Amino acid sequence: MSFLEVFQYTRQDSVIHKLDPRAKLFMSIVLAVVALMFLAIIPLLIIFCCLVPIIGAAKSLRRWSRSMRGLSILLIFIIIFNTLLSTQPNPFSHSLALTLRLVALMTSFSVFFLTVHPDELSQALIQMRVRFEFAFAMSMAMRYVPTLGQEAYAIMDAQKARGVELDKGNLLKRIRNIVPIIVPLIIVSIRRALSIAESMESRGFGANATRTYMNVLKFRKRDWAVVTVSLLVLVFVVYVRIFVPLPTWMLWQLPI
Amino acid sequence: MPLIEFADFSFKYLGADSLALRKVDLNIEEGEYVVLTGPSGCGKTTLCRAINGLVPQFHRGYIAGNVIVDGKNTREHNVAELAPIAGLVFQQPENQLVTLNVEREIAFGPENLGVERKEIRRRVEELIDMLDLEHLREKHPHEMSGGEQQRVAMAATLALKPKVLVADEPTSNLDPQSAVTILDLIADLNRRDMTVVLVEHRLDLVSKDASRVVLMDKGSIVADGEPREVLSMDLCQEIGVGIPKATQIYKRLKQRGFNLDKVPLTGAELATLVQEVKQR
Ligand SMILES: Nc1ncnc2c1ncn2[C@@H]1O[C@H](COP(=O)(O)OP(=O)(O)OP(=O)(O)O)[C@@H](O)[C@H]1O
Ligand SMILES: [Mg+2]
Repeated sequence: MSFLEVFQYTRQDSVIHKLDPRAKLFMSIVLAVVALMFLAIIPLLIIFCCLVPIIGAAKSLRRWSRSMRGLSILLIFIIIFNTLLSTQPNPFSHSLALTLRLVALMTSFSVFFLTVHPDELSQALIQMRVRFEFAFAMSMAMRYVPTLGQEAYAIMDAQKARGVELDKGNLLKRIRNIVPIIVPLIIVSIRRALSIAESMESRGFGANATRTYMNVLKFRKRDWAVVTVSLLVLVFVVYVRIFVPLPTWMLWQLPI
Repeated sequence: MPLIEFADFSFKYLGADSLALRKVDLNIEEGEYVVLTGPSGCGKTTLCRAINGLVPQFHRGYIAGNVIVDGKNTREHNVAELAPIAGLVFQQPENQLVTLNVEREIAFGPENLGVERKEIRRRVEELIDMLDLEHLREKHPHEMSGGEQQRVAMAATLALKPKVLVADEPTSNLDPQSAVTILDLIADLNRRDMTVVLVEHRLDLVSKDASRVVLMDKGSIVADGEPREVLSMDLCQEIGVGIPKATQIYKRLKQRGFNLDKVPLTGAELATLVQEVKQR
């Protein structure tokens, strides 16, 4: 699952990391929309030429390329199957373009997820009028995933010590083997949830409507710049797509 | 007027078949350091919960009598309203840390109460400094040891500026070294005028700092007074409370007709007392 790393926040000191998450969200969406508007190799390569420097500015090129390598087998599969099953005149060229578009989409969103800390994300949601409880639930999920994982391993060990053979037998048996893990895990989690709720209540959770926030996100000049540039790009590309036929060199296809 | 007043308070959890608290009468004044102890299941946690309204607001059940905390009846005020008065620290540190880094954790309580941003920032910096958390500032709770987590949990509770700190076995999941750190911290807070209610089994670590020991058994308070007075009672052994080693030795000596002037709580005190007797 190493390719999922591009969607995981990494702490870095970069220009992109310092941008307001809302500006970054807008930029990512614009990049993705632009990628979705083209299905030819040359324009998609041009989009790539814009994406790679952004990833570079976020100091995450190495992580990105590692994930892409992890993804390569899947991508090759997509190309092969598409080529074999496609009814297009140049099936290989078409599937290559499709795959490029997929990678461009992933990269656009990874710019956001790689550089936005979960706390910033929930703060951004709150400032975009999402209710605090929902945004907080999301960041709490992030908080307790490792704890839950640890607990699952502890339960597995305990069950193995009692003689449950977790990794023996056929598929059906293995699926049935999950039961002695899941049931205790759910019970333990409910108990934990109660104890967490107790602690949160004791610290005034849900006390009044006027909750304050220590860190408030502020739009700065650079955030406005990013939003403006993204908007201009979006308008320009939409205009070109609707009113200007693409020059033939842009529609170039591989002969197969 | 006492800060905390239990008036003939009884409580039974919904679905339980016996009382968790039985006619408890207890007054705690400002500035006291009360150590609460007793065998497992005697109702210590329930008593702590009753101080900040978790009982009866969060844990429902049958209730008789009243608990008045800083003039507020816990039947009539919800837990959030009582949060700035009584701050609770619980047994499992990891269930008290609900955010992704230390700063946020400390800010969580005051944010909930709607404290002004600048003031929250000030409290966060003050507590990070006071509890020595600087190196943990950006860490995920998962990257901290149990002792560190409990220190953060304590900071998060203190950020509410409570009038009384109620700690329910804060050290029971910790190694001895971290336990001593936490207990020293609590003693230090009490010296700075914080009222403390501490549930603790390791009496040899806390009785020297405590101003009062309350002994519970089967939901009732069975002894209440000066640490030296309570810990030298035979009742302690009868209900199975682990009294400090020095006090045990004092009692053994007494059985053999060897009376010391005072009940010792620590090894050092015992040594001094024995020396005095020898010189006579
Ligand atoms: N949430 C609950 N629901 C029902 N009964 C409970 C609940 N919590 C505690 N009890 C019961 O209330 C009684 C007192 O429990 P309490 O947790 O207060 O004891 P304790 O002195 O804190 O014990 P320990 O030293 O084990 O922590 C026990 O008999 C317990 O089974
Ligand atoms: Mg308890």
